[in-house]
Amino acid sequence: MSKLTLAIPSKGRLMEQTTDMFARAGLVVRKVGHVRGYRGEIEGLPGIDVAYVSSSEISEALKSGSVHLGITGEDLIRENISDAATRIRFLQKLGFGFADVVVAVPACWLDVTTVAELEEIALPFRRKHGRWPRVATKYINLTRRFFGSKGFGDYRIIESAGATEGAPSSGMAELIVDITTTGETLRANGLKILDDGVILKSQANLFATNAAHWTPELEAVCAELTEKLANSIPSKATAR
Amino acid sequence: MTAETVQNLEALASQAQTIMSVFTKAGYSAVAPAIIQPADVFLDVIGESLRARTYVFTDQDGAELCLRPDITVPTCRLHLERHADPMTPARYCYNGPAFRFQPQGATAAHPREFRQAGIERFGDKSREAAEAETVSIILKGIEKAGFKDWTLKLGDLGLFSSVLDAAGLSPNWKKRLDDAFLRPLSFREALKGFATGVRGASSSVPEEVLSAMRRDDREASEAAVAVYLEEEAIELIGTRTLSDITEHLIGIAEDRKEKPLDTRAIDLIARYVGVSGPAITAGEKISALIKNAPNGSAYALETYDRRLALLANAGIDLDRVTFAAEFGRTLAYYTGFVFEVSAPSLDPKSPLAGGGRYDGLMRAAGSGADVPAVGAAIHSERLLAATGGKAP
Repeated sequence: MSKLTLAIPSKGRLMEQTTDMFARAGLVVRKVGHVRGYRGEIEGLPGIDVAYVSSSEISEALKSGSVHLGITGEDLIRENISDAATRIRFLQKLGFGFADVVVAVPACWLDVTTVAELEEIALPFRRKHGRWPRVATKYINLTRRFFGSKGFGDYRIIESAGATEGAPSSGMAELIVDITTTGETLRANGLKILDDGVILKSQANLFATNAAHWTPELEAVCAELTEKLANSIPSKATAR
Repeated sequence: MTAETVQNLEALASQAQTIMSVFTKAGYSAVAPAIIQPADVFLDVIGESLRARTYVFTDQDGAELCLRPDITVPTCRLHLERHADPMTPARYCYNGPAFRFQPQGATAAHPREFRQAGIERFGDKSREAAEAETVSIILKGIEKAGFKDWTLKLGDLGLFSSVLDAAGLSPNWKKRLDDAFLRPLSFREALKGFATGVRGASSSVPEEVLSAMRRDDREASEAAVAVYLEEEAIELIGTRTLSDITEHLIGIAEDRKEKPLDTRAIDLIARYVGVSGPAITAGEKISALIKNAPNGSAYALETYDRRLALLANAGIDLDRVTFAAEFGRTLAYYTGFVFEVSAPSLDPKSPLAGGGRYDGLMRAAGSGADVPAVGAAIHSERLLAATGGKAP
């Protein structure tokens, strides 16, 4: 019988929290073969192969169906898979990896507290500088969809791989879309979140992909894993 | 591309030849603008929403380019390269591929690569004549290609302005509503909110700053903003200056003092937006609405009527023509008259041809001023399907 493949984060805080969560569910995840290898197994669930994958690549693996299940942030799924609603199943919120994807502008913009007010400054800005305000972000699709849903299109996206919150003060962009947990980094960089600028309240999820090959046996293994994880997560941990 | 078979390719080529000969005989000179275009112009005209529908890429030098999503903007750029004076009257026609990302997946009716055959005319002084002629030449092309069973839908983005004039609104209100009209997603919400004032109460702009704003004393206004920032230990960062921020705050403060939108005006707008039906009766309905409005005039529909008369003169049966007040609001760069040709056998969301007036586009492409411009394009694959010549 072929096995169910589960992709989990290969490094960093998300990997630690994932391992802890499995432990709380009474499941021990361990690597198979070399300690620096990227394959693993779950004690007591022999039907599952574990693949250690960097968390940004987990969304790609789910998109292509090269794995059945994956644990990663909802932000990355929504950003990288345009048809996530049909392609991906959201099996279980996991109660960690909390991050809000937000629109943040310089705090000195006293005149801009909503997307509508942001829209009002776009045209005067363009008249003065010859271009639309720039938005630095790595969440290009989320940004476009969010502003699109508000009917706002008068901006330019600048792709930013890192240190996005520094873009307004360095003059690389006028505003940003980025993740924040406490808002501290934003404040330290002279930024504030728009009142209606929370695009997504994200946390780590167990995702399944419809792009992979599923059999009734694999579905059963998946259901068993989901149930074990769900029982170990206090319901209030996933609510915010 | 949908021309996956040689038969399809030949059918499309022969159809294109038929249509292009209609265009060139009518005095339009054939052009073939580049397929790869700088993304800047498109992004500036249409904004970031363009990216959602366009193949944008970066080349080895880091330049941002795109596969043209239509041939109108490339034709504007070509016109600017040819003529030092952008107002120079000119007529162009083209046939070639355009490319659009289809978020729901590419289908036969919405392919990612399709051919457009179209015309663009610049610098015409008599507006309605240019508009009516554009429609009649497109219809002639479609009929010559073998499809006679078309329907024609008209819209006019400029008419809303006349409705607002008739409602007797303040310039501030007029500007708001004019802007809001082009954003149908938020229009109904906005209109509801406008019943209480220019701006919703949801904004958290600091009251103490707003109350210190004076249009006639910019210096004091700026000083008040500076003091607030100082007190709150907020650093002034970024591209916008203290003066930019103050200017907008003054505008917001003025909006607060504006009287709520008159309920009769809201009613008038809601009735206008709902107008849809045969072009002749729609015109009569709008005419009646405007005549009975507070600041009504009997002549607001002069251009509407003249355009219909010109279409009738060109031999177009007005019984096959409808008008919808809402039509055209979601189309990227049109500024006035808009039209769409459909086939009853095809999905109404997949018109055979469409076009209209876009006076502001040339400025975005670099002309420095608005240039009268009307154009339209035929979706070749859909037309071929409608004539039964295969593809999609």
